[in-house]
Amino acid sequence: MNQPIVRTMSEVILSVLKENGYRHFTGVPCSLLKGLFSLLEQDENSQVRYIPAVREDSAVGVASGFVISGHKSAVLMQNSGLGYSLNVLTSFNMIYDLPILLIVSWRGAYGNDAVEHDIIGARLTHLLDAVEIPHIELTENQPEQALLEAVGLIEATSRPVALLIKDEI
Amino acid sequence: MRKDEAIRLVLERFPFSYVISTCGHISRDLYNIKDRSEHFYMVGSMGIAAPVALGLAVTNPEKQILILDGDGSFLMNLGAAAMIGEQKPSNLVHVVLDNGMHESTGGQRTIGMDGMTTAVLSMGYKHGVKIESHLDWQQALPPEGPLLVHIKIDPRTEKIGKRVEWTPQEILSRFSVALKGGEHEYSSH
Repeated sequence: MNQPIVRTMSEVILSVLKENGYRHFTGVPCSLLKGLFSLLEQDENSQVRYIPAVREDSAVGVASGFVISGHKSAVLMQNSGLGYSLNVLTSFNMIYDLPILLIVSWRGAYGNDAVEHDIIGARLTHLLDAVEIPHIELTENQPEQALLEAVGLIEATSRPVALLIKDEI
Repeated sequence: MRKDEAIRLVLERFPFSYVISTCGHISRDLYNIKDRSEHFYMVGSMGIAAPVALGLAVTNPEKQILILDGDGSFLMNLGAAAMIGEQKPSNLVHVVLDNGMHESTGGQRTIGMDGMTTAVLSMGYKHGVKIESHLDWQQALPPEGPLLVHIKIDPRTEKIGKRVEWTPQEILSRFSVALKGGEHEYSSH
């Protein structure tokens, strides 16, 4: 009897992204996203390009360079890094129509995280709404659906879209 | 050296390069001196021309990518220089026009570029060259990047030219077409 293949959430996410043409990645780590970072760091197996960034706004810049070259790109970051990225997203990506997928871990989402995540955690979606960056939550039950919705929205709008992840993947 | 002279000399020395110019007066000056599809004028996001160029350089190894930075925007994002040094794209030229000031906002002093041609070597750039005069510019520049070309320029005396008239979407679309066209394959200079 065949064993069912159990895939981690990170494997599901990377595989759906690769199927949809996303092979260029950059970002700044978050502990909630460490599974996905770990896959990206084994690039010889996963057939992706991954460049570690020093800060999230620089990551958005690098990913934008990938997009200008015609490669679909995603930036991984913690929601704390969204603050650093707001200027480049609004004064670059959103006026040049340079779409990137933002995979954002949502620290502070449940209100009981480390204190430094309290304010941004409680207001993350308000912040994204204020600058009109669409956001989609990826949960354990429907990762494919959330990913397809996000990449579809990027295709349709040529704008950055944020995929929010509250739990460790 | 005057800034417009420096920009002209850079364009002459690297005629086949795809140029990413930093926001403010530098993009405006580049546009007014010579407008090419191969110029990507950034109008905002100070400090981000370098990471954009890094993303372009690693995905287009056969094309020469040139950052036209200022001292203010270079110093704002030294982390980007560290990323370039780590990735070491040999097709990347990082030009910094250094007038010692934030000219676009009224001439406030920057913290200064002293020692940056050697600092970038510690970060992983292949070469760092400082140009302080026309005579310095006569020398051959190393062919392999990442190369920092730190050019000292004089404060502007003439009025700034007009703003870039292309819309951001037009800048992107014509640059993308030029990049895809690939007529500007480069060989070492």
